[in-house]
Formats: sequence, structure tokens, C-alpha cells
Amino acid sequence: MTARERDPAGGLAVEGLRVERAGRVVLDDVSFTAAKGRVVAIVAPSGAGKSTLLRCLNRLLVPAAGTVSLDGEDTAAIEPCELRRRVGLVAQTPAMLPGSVRENLSYALPGVPEDRMVDALDAAGLGASFLVRTAAELSGGERARVALARALTRGPEMLLLDEPTAALDAQAASHTAATLCTLTAAGLGVVLATHDRALVAAVADEAVAL
Amino acid sequence: MSRSLLQLLAGGSFALLAAWLAHRQRLGLSRSLLVAALRAAVQLAVVGLLIALVFSVPLLAVAFVAVMVLTAALTSGARLRTLPGARRTAVAAIAVPALGITGVLLAIGAFATTPRAAIPTAGILIGGAMLATTLTGRRVIEGLGEREEEIETRLALGDRVRDALAPLMRQAITGALVPLIDQTRSAGLVTLPGTFVGLMLGGASPATAARIQLTVLLALLLVQLLSALLTAELLTRAATLPGERVRVPGHAPG
Repeated sequence: MTARERDPAGGLAVEGLRVERAGRVVLDDVSFTAAKGRVVAIVAPSGAGKSTLLRCLNRLLVPAAGTVSLDGEDTAAIEPCELRRRVGLVAQTPAMLPGSVRENLSYALPGVPEDRMVDALDAAGLGASFLVRTAAELSGGERARVALARALTRGPEMLLLDEPTAALDAQAASHTAATLCTLTAAGLGVVLATHDRALVAAVADEAVAL
Repeated sequence: MSRSLLQLLAGGSFALLAAWLAHRQRLGLSRSLLVAALRAAVQLAVVGLLIALVFSVPLLAVAFVAVMVLTAALTSGARLRTLPGARRTAVAAIAVPALGITGVLLAIGAFATTPRAAIPTAGILIGGAMLATTLTGRRVIEGLGEREEEIETRLALGDRVRDALAPLMRQAITGALVPLIDQTRSAGLVTLPGTFVGLMLGGASPATAARIQLTVLLALLLVQLLSALLTAELLTRAATLPGERVRVPGHAPG
């Protein structure tokens, strides 16, 4: 069965992924699909390779074996910068770039409309007043939400989230869950690596155990 | 007691005093200080003997400059060895600016085209280029590790490696050059640079010593900036993996 046949709606298809680091096998024979409009949760204990798997999906890491396809096309054949714009990644401890939140959201997006940034902040649970805040001075939870907004400003087709609620309080985590439901209803595909069982129960259409 | 002997005795005593102080303060530097002093003594003694010969045979001067470049590149390359091609990077970043500017100074007649003028000029510029290469390279390597998350964030947002590394490279170049610029700014006020002192001790007039020192110092500014820029460019290439990924020193490339 081809990736396209398994994944008629489009999205990511992972086949037989194997990752080795310094001679150690980190991931072996991992296969799953993450269609657009759905949330797939990657569930595994700490150190099992969840973050490594997410970084393979946008080719920040290259696997030793296996393929990752986006809309049926092998990601190895897609220009890396284009792939990363289409498949957004929010890391577990997202780095804030120098400058304001506005500068972070518009990074490498010259002329991005203000309302797109405000909408992205709103989706991440932050108000428009955050645009002028200095990114380096934000709390851990605010940084996590700015990083989500930064990824959403780019209008990705797929979103990779690494422990998105780890730095959030219960209310903010609940807002993130609601946001994910809204975004997937609009067609965004989400791959979620998390320990947060409540989040998995609230948003995941499918869970993949490593 | 002759003045020559007094000079050697004073220098040796200062080195021993420095090693003793380092030992008393438990800095773990005594051995390094003594080895450095001993190496300097042996190297200068050999250079003193060789230089007379080199001054009389121009072809030997070319070989002498080549040895200076090679030694500087090995010293600097060893500091950058966590990235591939470190020695090649160091050779290019040191040789191209230092020898290029030495060539310009000789070609326009600023200094005589003799081994006696060319070797010290090349030596000072090679030394400055080595310093700029090492300082820039060390800051780049440290930054690749310390700012890994920021660099990966930029890549994840769609940057090419060259763009993702640009802020780190700019900071490394600036950080490396600021102390060197300060040294130039304070020349004559805080320190009397080596060329000036050497010329004065050799009997040149203060005006001549100052003029030659100024020429060398200003040439050094350009040489060191060019070395830092070349180092940053070559290390950007060394840190770039296929598929717009970054090689972090100490990490197995994935």
C-alpha cells in the first residue's frame, strides 16, 4: 500500500523509521500516518525518542532508514526550507529570538499582516498587547504560547508540538486543547508528543506508542 | 656582569616568580607557564641563530614565512578541531589576509623588499591573524553548542543554515575584534607596542618608530577583520550538513 493510498486526505506518513545516534538505536521501525484535520498523539516514556521523531518529520534530523512522506511525496525530495514552512515545529523549550514578540512572529515573513499575527496570538491564548512585549522577558508559559503563535503565523499544513502544555497552567493547557480542536477542524494536521494524558484524551484522534 | 647576562637572568627570574605565584594560588598553571617560558627561550634562541642566515638568503626568507604560517595554522587549528577541516580553515584565514597585506605593503614600497623588513612585518600580521582566527573560531564553536536551540528554532522557521548562523557569526566576529580594537585604541597610552619598543631599542628615532608602528597597527586592523570574516565563512560551511542542517560540535550528525 503506498503512502498516498494509506493517506488519501493528505498529511504525514511515516514508514519503517529508524534513527541511530552515536551507535545507539533511538527509534526502530516506527510507522504511522497523521492526516490533515486530525491529531495524532505520540505517547512514550521520557527518553523514548519522541522529540527525535518530531525532528525527523521536518528533517532537522535525517533517519538511518525509513521514509517520511508529506501528501504522498517523500520529504527527502522536498526542499528543506519549504518543508519546514509547511510542517511547523514547536519545540519543548522553544527559543525566543531577539527582539519583540512582533519580531518573533514576523521572523523571515516580511510584510506579514498585523491581523494574522493577532489571530495567531489569539489562537495561542495571548492578547494583541503581547506584540510589543520583549520576547526574552516572557515567562516559560508565555514563551510556549508565543512559540505556538509563531508557528501558526506561517500557516503550516501540519504542526508538530513537543510537550505543548509542559510549561502551562491548567487554564492555559485547556485553552491550548480547545485551540487544537479549532485548528484541526479547519484542516490543520497535528502530531503531538506529550505526557499530558488529559490533553491526549481531550484532543487526540489516535495515539501512537513508541 | 654583562648586560646580556642580566637580561637573561631577569627574564628567567620573572618566569620562575610567575610559576611560583601560580603554584601558591593553586591555579594549576605553573607547568604551563614554565613550559611556555622554556619554549619561548628555545624558539627565540633558534630564531636568533637562523635569522642571520635567512637575512642573507632571500629564498630562505620565503621558507621562513611559510613555517610561520604553518605553525600559526597548527596552533589555531588545534583550537578549532571539533569542526571538520579546522586546519585548512586556519591556514586560509591566517595566510590569505596576512600574506596579502604584507604583499601590498612591500609592493607599494612602504617597507623595503628585503628579508629584514618583510619577515618581521609578515610575522606581526600572521600573529594578529592567528589571534583573530582563534578567537572567532572559539566563539563560533561555543555558540554552536550554547545556542543550539535558537539555531534550530530559526531552521524550523524556514531559515537556511547560512541565515540561521548569521547572528552567531556576527557576534563571534564582534566579540573577537573588540579586544583587538581596544588594543589599537590604547596604543601609546596604555601600552607601547612591540614594534615601537623594538625599533627604539634598536636605535631608531621616536618619530620613525611611531610611524612604522602606526602602519603595522592599522594593517593589523584590516588583517584581523579579514581573518575573522574568513574564519566565520569557512566555519559556516564546515557546520553545514546536507539538507539545511547544522553540525553541532560534540554531537553525532543525525
